[in-house]
Amino acid sequence: MKLAAASATKVTYDQLQWLCACLALALLAHVAALPIWLILTVCAAAAIRLGLAARGRGAPARGIRLGIAAVSIALLFVQYHTFNGLAAGTALLSLMAGLKLLELQSHRDFHVIILIIYFLNLAALLHSESFWLLGYLIAVSWLTSATLMRLTISTPPPGWRPSMRRAGRVLAQALPLTLILWLFFPRFDGPLWRLPQESQGAESGLSDSMSPGDISNLAQSDDIAFRVHYLDATPPPPQRYYRGPVLHDFDGHTWRRTHSDPTPVPPLVPSGIAYRYTLSLEPHPHNWLFALDWPTRWDLPGAMLTSDYTLVQPAPVSRPADILAVSYSQMRTSDALNPAMRRRDTRLPPGRNPRSILLSQQLRGSHPDDMDFARAVLELFHEQPFFYTLKPPPLAEDSVDAFLFDSRRGFCGHYASAFATLMRAAGIPARVVTGYQGGTFNRYAGYWILRQSDAHAWDEIWIEGRGWVRIDPTSAIAPERVERGLNDALVADEALAGRWQRHSPWIADLRLRVDALGQQWRRSILQFDQKSQDNLLLILHISEPDGQKLVMVLAVGLGLALSWLTWQVRREMRPPVKDPLVRAYGRLCRKLANIGVPRRLHEGAEAYAERVAELRPDLATALTALCRRYTELRYGSRRARAGGPSRAELAFISGVRAFRPHALKPKI
Amino acid sequence: MPVSTWRQTAITRLRAWAARRHGQDALPVTIDRRRIYILPTRFGLMLAALVVAMLIAGLNYNSNLGLAFAFLMASLALVAMHHCHRNLLGLSVDVNLEADAFVGEDAAFEFTLRNPSAVDRRDIEIRLAADAEALKSVGANGDERVTVEVAVVRRGVLRFSQFELRTRYPFGWFRAWTYVQGSLSAFVAPRPRGDRRPSAAAAEGGVPRSEAHGDEEFAGLRPYAPGVPLKHMAWKVLARGGDAAVRGYTGLAAQPDWLEWSALEGLDTEARLSQLCRWVLANEAGYRRAYGLRIPGVEISPGWGAAHRVRCLRALALYSAEPAMPVEPQR
Repeated sequence: MKLAAASATKVTYDQLQWLCACLALALLAHVAALPIWLILTVCAAAAIRLGLAARGRGAPARGIRLGIAAVSIALLFVQYHTFNGLAAGTALLSLMAGLKLLELQSHRDFHVIILIIYFLNLAALLHSESFWLLGYLIAVSWLTSATLMRLTISTPPPGWRPSMRRAGRVLAQALPLTLILWLFFPRFDGPLWRLPQESQGAESGLSDSMSPGDISNLAQSDDIAFRVHYLDATPPPPQRYYRGPVLHDFDGHTWRRTHSDPTPVPPLVPSGIAYRYTLSLEPHPHNWLFALDWPTRWDLPGAMLTSDYTLVQPAPVSRPADILAVSYSQMRTSDALNPAMRRRDTRLPPGRNPRSILLSQQLRGSHPDDMDFARAVLELFHEQPFFYTLKPPPLAEDSVDAFLFDSRRGFCGHYASAFATLMRAAGIPARVVTGYQGGTFNRYAGYWILRQSDAHAWDEIWIEGRGWVRIDPTSAIAPERVERGLNDALVADEALAGRWQRHSPWIADLRLRVDALGQQWRRSILQFDQKSQDNLLLILHISEPDGQKLVMVLAVGLGLALSWLTWQVRREMRPPVKDPLVRAYGRLCRKLANIGVPRRLHEGAEAYAERVAELRPDLATALTALCRRYTELRYGSRRARAGGPSRAELAFISGVRAFRPHALKPKI
Repeated sequence: MPVSTWRQTAITRLRAWAARRHGQDALPVTIDRRRIYILPTRFGLMLAALVVAMLIAGLNYNSNLGLAFAFLMASLALVAMHHCHRNLLGLSVDVNLEADAFVGEDAAFEFTLRNPSAVDRRDIEIRLAADAEALKSVGANGDERVTVEVAVVRRGVLRFSQFELRTRYPFGWFRAWTYVQGSLSAFVAPRPRGDRRPSAAAAEGGVPRSEAHGDEEFAGLRPYAPGVPLKHMAWKVLARGGDAAVRGYTGLAAQPDWLEWSALEGLDTEARLSQLCRWVLANEAGYRRAYGLRIPGVEISPGWGAAHRVRCLRALALYSAEPAMPVEPQR
């Protein structure tokens, strides 16, 4: 048989089918991120190529291929304006795989597509970090390796099982090595070079403005905003306020955040209980971090407090972040409020909400003390028929008037807005704080989950001698909201998104378990870093871990893993225990080989004996007898034996033992 | 091309070095670790570049899963390397047959591959030269025969001082190979052709006289040699349990044909040899009559049978000091 050079060999229809299946499965992981036309192009390329191959024909003409390639790559550039970055790069690779498939002819083309598939699998992992995706992609790589094996061997076995089994064995043997490399390969802190930032994750969440109805819309969402794990004590429900953006500017309808922060942070004297906790933020499009009121310390470099005590970092939270922070339950400021801030926080839009301002001034007459006045307003909310509802009616331009005197139905944002307006009308500095409140406790992992439905708005007023004091007007109308969460506070017939899930206890339970596992995955795998490696070395009793020691451990680990691999690979080769008869014959042959007459591989026992007898007449008698005996025993009518070797076999074995040929010429 | 020249030089040096290192091998050879060489293929180098790219991507995106995947690919390659190496390890190889050929045909070398281990050996390639190779898989604890055919274009002796076993299993990322220093040779006889009659003497009594053998006088038993006509076998001796024997006749070589170089005046050397070759074959196939061969420097006394035929053909193959075929196999 003559062999053509392997790289020029034609690819068969069967191999092509396997390859198309692999490519399809690899692209499935990207299907949401790729443009539709690209997916259709790749599918069409595969279909055309398979169709042609089924008719025994090769790739389509070169002109057609080049045309398709040029058009689709140009389209891609129009869509992305770049080929750099993860999204555009992935799209380009997918397209190249499709085009290569169209012109697939030789093994070399096949190899290129296989490598692209492997890289697409990796790219999918850079997009998303889910456990399930990893499993899926390992399965795809398994199939891809099996496909590659079918390409490499000349006569692939029919059916997919043998190939999958063989490739699976190789893959399984690769896992220990992978683990060692992953655990001990040195990690760096930052990226090697800056990449084009790609916004990731949820776009929903609190924004830097609040109109009536914004927060109630947010409350429909079940997305997770962040998780909190308290290291020591957990604050009681009335203190579980997580601070987001603080809003100062009111135009009669919408509250906005002031961007220019005119003043330095007023000194903050913490008091009360200190809470240490880990805040695990999900990505969101803004730069604030939701710390518990009132944050004093945090371990995120670059993060700082604004003048209104919101914790912010320089860049948006584009990837999940873990922050270890300390907050105090109370704080006190002895300084006076600086005049600029006082002006800002008592300003009301002129001519708006006149009825509310009138109401405030009336009430202020009988309550000259600031705190007393605030209590009176809360009392008003409590006494009058106000309702807490997720579906407040839309409000007119003067939203506070419309809410206080007409609809009287509102969500936390309405109450916070109205309360701050009433305070400001009376000359008391007031501001609206947005953030999250409450949360669901995950008893399987001991942390609190705060979803978008836990978004909340409350107020802070300035009390001379005490500083900023938190007042939550919602608690006057629906104290359950603060004590037990939104679900218990709502009117019974109001549907909250995902409510049925929370009402069905086992589903809620399952969700918590899955979330706990997800956190475990995130903490131990996704966030595995230098610090974790240092801990790992400490577990291995290596003191003062550093990079050098890590590399040494990596080398030792790799050495061990490779020895294991060698041993494992050899162990599989070890033949099953042989028949004692065959073993004795093997010994006989070895003895003869030692004196310089090895048995040729195609020689039977008697032919061998004859040849040796010619060369060494002195051995002829003994050897011929032994070999004839062997042939009889081995190929004669043998009975199935239950126990050990028969008497004749034992005789043969001892005959071999007694047979001691010597080399004719003594070695010099 | 300079790269391929460089490559060729490297391979030649490696072969020579391997030959010095291992010395002449006594067949059968069992392939041990010391004589297996392994290097990545071009595809393997592409994979290595891919793994590096994956590693950079994983580090750059700070993605632990990306890194894990890159490491998985690297480990997969390492394991594949072990499997590739193992695919040759412990195999035994032997040469069963070196078949002579005529110019323009294929010389065939038959090998036996023995796999004493519990794992299959996939796609073992036996390679004598660039276009003389054959592929075989050997099951666990099994033997396979592999025939490598070599097209021959020149008369003489086809000689290989070394052959190569190689494999790219399982993924084609690595190639493991080994050199066996076992000399192989096959005689290449001239292409049989020409239309002259053997000689004046033979032409006179040119009738096939096979039946004449029956008139010859029985002259005792000789040991059996392959190629003897069945009717000369001493069947009775065999039936009594004795060794296979042939009845000999004194008259067999009584009136031999002489195939003479000198009878072919006017032809050039190769044409003469071709004609002689054809006569030898014709004598063996049809006339069944003892013949002798006379060429300058060689005289083969009359005889008949396979062994005689081989002697004559080899003499024709070896005629004159023409250089032998290039003997070093090429990659």
